[in-house]
Order: sequence, then C-alpha cells, then structure tokens
Amino acid sequence: MARKVAICAVAQTTYARNKWDQRFQGMALEVLEKLREQIDIKFSRHRREVKGIDMSINVSDDVFDARTISDNAMTDVLGAHFGCAEKVAQEGIQAIYYGLAAIASGHCNQVLIIGHCKESQGQSRNMVTHVAFDPFFTRPVGLDFCAAAGLQAQAYAQKSGLNDTQLAKIVVAARQHAAQNPCITELEPLTAEAVMASDMLADPIRKLHAYPVSDGAVGLVLAAEEIARRITKTPVWITGTGNCMDSFFLGDRDLTANFALKQAAQRAYRRAGISDPKSAFDVVELSDQYAYQQPLWAEGLGLCAEGDGARWIDDDGPTRQRVNVSGGMLAGNPLILGGLVRAAEAALQLRAEAGARQVADARTALAHGVMGAAGQFHSVLTLQRD
Amino acid sequence: MTAKADSFIVDGKLALPYQYFAGRTGSRFLIQLRDQKKIQGLRCQTCDKVFVPPRSTCVSCGAKIADHWVEVKNTGTITGHTVIRYEEPHQPVKPPYILALIKLDGADTPLAHIVKGIPLTKVRTGQRVQAVFAKKTTSSILDIDHFRPLEEKPKIELGYSYEALEVGMSASFTKTISETDVYLFAGISGDFNPMHLNEEFAKLTPFGTRIAHGALPQSLIAPVLGMKLPGLGTVIPEITVRFRKPTYFGDTITAIGEVAEKIDARKWVRMELRWLNQKGELVAEGSCLAIPPVPLG
Repeated sequence: MARKVAICAVAQTTYARNKWDQRFQGMALEVLEKLREQIDIKFSRHRREVKGIDMSINVSDDVFDARTISDNAMTDVLGAHFGCAEKVAQEGIQAIYYGLAAIASGHCNQVLIIGHCKESQGQSRNMVTHVAFDPFFTRPVGLDFCAAAGLQAQAYAQKSGLNDTQLAKIVVAARQHAAQNPCITELEPLTAEAVMASDMLADPIRKLHAYPVSDGAVGLVLAAEEIARRITKTPVWITGTGNCMDSFFLGDRDLTANFALKQAAQRAYRRAGISDPKSAFDVVELSDQYAYQQPLWAEGLGLCAEGDGARWIDDDGPTRQRVNVSGGMLAGNPLILGGLVRAAEAALQLRAEAGARQVADARTALAHGVMGAAGQFHSVLTLQRD
Repeated sequence: MTAKADSFIVDGKLALPYQYFAGRTGSRFLIQLRDQKKIQGLRCQTCDKVFVPPRSTCVSCGAKIADHWVEVKNTGTITGHTVIRYEEPHQPVKPPYILALIKLDGADTPLAHIVKGIPLTKVRTGQRVQAVFAKKTTSSILDIDHFRPLEEKPKIELGYSYEALEVGMSASFTKTISETDVYLFAGISGDFNPMHLNEEFAKLTPFGTRIAHGALPQSLIAPVLGMKLPGLGTVIPEITVRFRKPTYFGDTITAIGEVAEKIDARKWVRMELRWLNQKGELVAEGSCLAIPPVPLG
C-alpha cells in the first residue's frame, strides 16, 4: 500500500508585473523563509540518519529564465547543494506529482518544491510560447499560446454560445476576488463595460480576458503521513492526481472537447474515489489563463454539465462552487506556476489560512493546471484535510 | 520602471543558429511542397484518416503509416479561426490577420495557416479556401504563402432544356431603332448604302426616306433565342427570314420567337419567328432551328 502524502507548508511571494529589483534566488529565498516560519526545515544529508528534506524540486523554465538548466543557479536556496535536486519545466503542479511519487514509493520522506518565474524578463511572453511550436509546420505561421487560445476561444464561443458579456463577468469576478488576495497587489477592480471596451487580442479574446504578465515564486513542502502528522497540525492530504497529454497539432484535436482534461480528471477522481465532481469540492482552483477557459475547463472537470459552461456563468456557478476565490490565473501568475499556485491556494483554504478569501469550513479542494497550446496538457489534483 | 543608480541590469538576447532535422516523413512532405507544389498526407488505413501535416505513426491507433502517402487538394474548408490583432516579431505578416484551421480536401486533420482576401469580421467556419503558393521557398509550411477564398465558378442558369420546352412557348424582345443604331450598324457591317445614311438620296427611293438595314431588326431575335427561349446555352444552326416591310428610324420593333415543333430524333426544336412594329404590322417573318442547352462541361 502506497504511503499517504500531505502538503505540510505553503508560501508564496506577491505576483507583480515587473519585479525588476529581485533575482530568482531572492524570490525563492523569500518563499523558503516563509516556509521555515511554518515548519522546521532541515536537509537530510547533514545528518547520519535520514531526516528532513530529501528531495528538492525546482519549477522553472529555461527560456523564461534565459539560461539553460535553469535550476542549477537555485541549488543553494532549494537546499539542493550536494543533495537530490529535480526540476520541473512543464507546469508547476507536476512537481507535486513527482514529489508524491517519490514519497508514496518510499524513496523519499519530505520533498521541498519551489517554483519561480519572471515573465517580465523577456520581451514578450508570446515569444516564449512561440518556441513551443515545431519549426516546420506551426512556428512559420506565427503560432504562440495566445494565438492558439484565440482559435480555441472562437470554437468554444461558437459551440457554447459564450458571449462577450459572460466573458466580462468572469473577469470582473476575478478582479473582485483578487482584491481579497494579498499576493495580488497591482490589479484594480474593473467594470464589465471596461472589459468589453478593451482591445481584441485574438478574436474573441480581449486584452482584459488574458492573464497578466507577472513575476513571483511559490513553494510547498510535502511529507509522508507519519512525518506530516508530526510537523504540522493542518496536513492537507493528496487524495488523487491525474494528468493527460493530448496531440500536439491543433488540427488533430477537437479544441472544445476537453479530451485531455476529462482523462486527467477521471484519473484523479478514480484515485480519490470521487463520483460526483459537482458536489465533491468545497473549493476549486482552476487555471484560467483566458476568461473563456473558466467555463470550458469547468465542463471538462465535470463542475457543470457538458455544453453548459456559458449558462453556468450566467447562473453564478463559479460563486456557488467557490471557483477561483483567489482570483485565479486571471489575477496573474506566471504561466509555468499557474497550477502550482492553484494547489497552494487550495491548500491554504484547507489549512484555513486564506485570510479574507477564506471559504468557511473548506474540507475538500480541487487544483488544476494546464500547459501547452490550447490546453494540450492538463493536471488535476484533489485535496482533503482531516 | 526606474532603475536605481546602484542597480545593474544587463540587456541580453538569446539567439542560437541551429539546424533541425525534419525527419524522413516531414522531409518528404516539405520537399514535395517545395518542388512540386503538392500537398501530401499520410493515411491510416485502419482508421481511414489522412494526416496533414504528415505523421509516420497514426495518432489514433499507433499503426505505422509512413508508406501510405496520398495527395490532398490545395483547396479546403475553414474549420476554426481567429483574428490576430497583437503584434509579435515572430508573426509572418503584420497584424491584423486571420489565422485559421483549414481542413484540406482529402485530409482529416486541419492545418493552421494564414487566410487573406476575406474581411476580418467576415471569416466563418465552413468557408472554402485555396492555397496560394509562395514565389520564394522557405522550405517550410510557408511554401504555402497563405490561403485565399476559393473562386467558385460563376453559377450559370442555363436556358430551357429540350425536355423542358413545349410547343407554343414564346418570348420576345423590343427595341426602338434610332438613327444612331443605323449608323453603328453601317459601321459594323460595312454597309454604307446611301439608302440607310443619305436622306436626300433616300427621298428618291420607293421608301421616300431612310430605312434601317434589314438585318438590324432581324438581329433583335438573337437576345430572344440566346437569352430567353430556349435561353443561355442555345445554339442556332439555321435561320431564315422573309422581309415584309421596311423599318423606319424611330420604329419600335418587337422580335418574337415561338416553339413550333420538337424534333425528337435530334432533340432540336423548330421555332417560328416574327418581327412586328409599333403599329402591329408584320415587318419580317421566318423560322429557325434551335439546339437547346445541355449541361456545360
């Protein structure tokens, strides 16, 4: 029987448009110090017997960081010096999957995860996601994740009837939630009129429908059950996880079918023993990089009925099901940290440490991450407190 | 952002010249596109699916399909679209432009590409487009420079078929013959006979004034036969006319054609022809054979 694994500590920096005066290491150190305020962090190799962190995972991206092997400048902050260092370059929530696997299998007992990104460093985030495409068939026509999202948004609007008013409602709600989130310091509340008056990026995606460029860092400590019960009073148990990678070429997929997300969700729900996702979660954090994705991913996660996403927005489904009370990705997290921040926010809720954005008596949560063009890769994580 | 005097920020640029092997499958596709201007896909016989861009392995069932090349058309249908309005250095054209998913005829997987020639707000799924090949090769998918709306053949409504024609059906065309018409007709035909052009000369003729060329009112039957009855697509192999009265300048002539007989052996019709002036007088009469339209090749 695999061991149970808990999130035992959670910390994050603020997310801001341009932390020009902070280095990656500085942001990560801020996270580490906040984690140390919560639990005693020691690194196992300094002791004869194995105790403390025995695996450090860095979440970072070579192109965003403008240096390859982007984790190798982070070893000191991660406590990975002379230790076991791993890296996740895809989307941060995968680091939890890695850590879970390492602990559940008995290879490790405690795993430290710290992700960082400064999207402000590059000339444009779209230039980074552009090089995710192949150089023969898709890069030459100028594809990047925003362009791919435009194709998906148009297809979903056509299929579901999702309109500009509903999209504005999603953004307005995200900004209201963000006002309660101390990690989001620069976003002002918006009116629906202002959203609907903002410029188009890739029809029907408007500028204010897109997640803002941001810099920041986030960290978690995972531990095996017996350690978790010793080091924290509020362990958040990982009950299920699943992911799925869809086809690379956009034309190979039905962009509105949520194939990979449904697979990822089913894998996580099966492991967690969840049969009715509509009522299973007290809190849901999903990665809405663009406003249209909130109802689309909600359909794929089974939070609302298939094809019902647009009506779900009208009917205040996100409010009733407490979706993205943090503000979600629309409030601004770096692309590669989106899912990891969702997991951190979900864990904060279950630890009753979410402050003004706290959902009363939250016991169960879902965190979702996405990477790749138009939702090529999805991850789903289900969490529960005692 | 305001950098403080004691803060150092370095400007950098990642720029790495590189070579990237397209793979055997990708190479064949790109070489065919570059040298033959042909678009090829790979077909999975099990799934009955044609992949463009080509894949050596079926995405659906995993079968090896690298040998099952098929040619697909350079025409296709838009299955998805957006308008790119933000500007980035990696874009092949200056925004705003239409980015679309295009399912080529004969392929099952749409291809992402640029569409030009459709107003930005008018692009729709289901629209038919065709590839415009680049003048200069880049050995990439941009050897298709862009797609543009497919020029459909203009839709022609042909006239009555032999089967649709019935004896007694008739049609007409009416026109007033002016001095200008007569002068133009003189130029067209080369018939500058003074009885049509010189009033003083004409006074000496039995008509007492200028008259139109006989073939001028006669020609008014052409719009009847060729554009009305039988109509577009008709061929007239024979026409005979007897002139009964002169046409004077200012006369209004009505040319009338009527189906008189259906010739089943040849699927032709014989038509009676009449020309009347504004007083109802018979100016000319005759008949013709007409080959009604058959579908155009």
